[in-house]
Amino acid sequence: MSDDVVIVVVAGLVATACGLLGPFLVLRRIALLSDAVSHAVLPGIVAVWLVWQTRAPLPVVVGAAAFAVLCVLGIDALRATGLMASDAAIALVFPALFSLGVLGVTRYADGIHLDLDSTIYGEIAFVPFDSVDLGGGVGVARAAVTLAVVVLLNLAMVTLLWKELKATTFDPAFGATVRLRPQLLSRLLLVAVAVTAVAAFEAVGAILVVTMLIVPAATAYLLTDRLVVMVALAVGVGWVGAVAGHALAVTYDSSIAGAMGLVCSACFVVALLLSPKHGLLTRRLRRTTPRESPAPRP
Amino acid sequence: MRRLIAAAVVGLALLTGCTSTAASGDEPIGDRPVRVTTTTNFITDTVERIGGASVEVTGLMGPGVDPHLYRASAGDVQTLRDADVIFYGGLQLEGRMAELLDELAARQLTRAVTEEIPRAQLLAPAPGTDEEYDPHVWFDVELWKQVSRTIATTLSERDPARAADYAANLDAYLAELTELDAYVAQRMAQIPPERRLLVTSHDAFEYFGRRYGLEVAGIQGISTAAEATTADVERVAELISARGVPAVFVESSVPRQTIDALIAAAAQRGATVTVGGELYTDAAGSPGTPEGTYVGMLRANADLIADGLGS
Repeated sequence: MSDDVVIVVVAGLVATACGLLGPFLVLRRIALLSDAVSHAVLPGIVAVWLVWQTRAPLPVVVGAAAFAVLCVLGIDALRATGLMASDAAIALVFPALFSLGVLGVTRYADGIHLDLDSTIYGEIAFVPFDSVDLGGGVGVARAAVTLAVVVLLNLAMVTLLWKELKATTFDPAFGATVRLRPQLLSRLLLVAVAVTAVAAFEAVGAILVVTMLIVPAATAYLLTDRLVVMVALAVGVGWVGAVAGHALAVTYDSSIAGAMGLVCSACFVVALLLSPKHGLLTRRLRRTTPRESPAPRP
Repeated sequence: MRRLIAAAVVGLALLTGCTSTAASGDEPIGDRPVRVTTTTNFITDTVERIGGASVEVTGLMGPGVDPHLYRASAGDVQTLRDADVIFYGGLQLEGRMAELLDELAARQLTRAVTEEIPRAQLLAPAPGTDEEYDPHVWFDVELWKQVSRTIATTLSERDPARAADYAANLDAYLAELTELDAYVAQRMAQIPPERRLLVTSHDAFEYFGRRYGLEVAGIQGISTAAEATTADVERVAELISARGVPAVFVESSVPRQTIDALIAAAAQRGATVTVGGELYTDAAGSPGTPEGTYVGMLRANADLIADGLGS
């Protein structure tokens, strides 16, 4: 299989893993969580260096995942106090963890190249070069294997807990009255985001993951009022970004992740303007009554 | 949901069909040029000098790129795949790309140009981290001679038919490096001894200082990502005012705010310090200019330092 196909498939797997979770983040108004996680993992990397003196991928991913989970649970705990909104909770937790990481680097790892770029952020262009043998002499890109596992885990969680996630996303109070334990579901979702983000950072770098968790879901949000369609569309838009973005990057010999992000953003702009129901231009053309609520119905 | 599951299954089925396209690593080169891929631009230049017309070199990193923060473009995938030989700096210079280069070594001739430098001649950047060597070896011309020899033997290994050409080019280049080494040493000797203190934004010049007799004070550590602490700035400002050093230097791949803070701190101590100019550190200048070559980059740095410190 050619390098190009491997790159597109890996990006598509990132799109799938992220597209399954992104809609819930957008609807719960915690879309920026992935960006928070991308910074909050730094102390994990420093801790791994302090304890084992290593920058090998596996321990780094484990250390990063530990702090990613800490970050999302911290955010969730702050939200649960009811004293602040989600955006403030996010903005309070990750700078604290990132600062801790920066202090750790200056204090304990001044003499070496220890930072996010050189430890955890992967590069999607190089994904085809790192393959594992799954038996029978067949080489498969390591990133594809990791991400396929993440996709299956997310798919399992979303399908098995579909009703519960849906109910608690749209109406946590109702969810609580029918004993759905919204707090627990919220934590589970956040941990899934943390694990997905860290696994994907390691494979393809931060920018692509942050893009894929937010932009396709936000695009889908403008295109439909049904949650199941929104999830499918989010995955679909992510794949469009992966395929078209790769073609764009090859044409202009530019950054692959950057081009994919740009295509996803272009999809969003198109949806914003031309969405059949909520598009800015469509609404103007139809001259329907303004102030139509874009919130999807559960 | 069912659609999603179907999509996932198709995706996985696609993946299991993946086979790695094994690159042929040892068929003879024949009459065509050896395709070489390099990382930093001064390695590119050195390979071009030693390979001459027999090689076709593609460098991944241009001028002003911090090799540690380099971002790949789509074309780089093919450039790496197509290479007969890949040269890189090694000693963690390329950051996470080192993992990729390890992978490539299994199928293509992939060599860290610093591989054959005796470890005893390398500097460990900080106590307690002795397995991590300082990668900035190019600032010691003597060490770069070893790098050049490694490049020549590697090219001959892949393309034995033209080994004599590589050996001849190497000899010419080594002579040029000897001349360069003498020039840099002579320029540094013109600086009054008490002023032989090179202050820069990050620790890239330890080898340079060791070889040419300058004391080196980097404000921040070796990582370009760590930020300088206030204590770092105060410590270096103290040193500058005590020694009467007239100039400090910025680097082409490091932001200059830290240096500005340092100048302000030195001014508070009554010392007048100017910015001596911008030194080439992790990348040479633009192609086509004299500074775009390894030799030109070292000459430019030596001139800047000697002029700035008042020779």
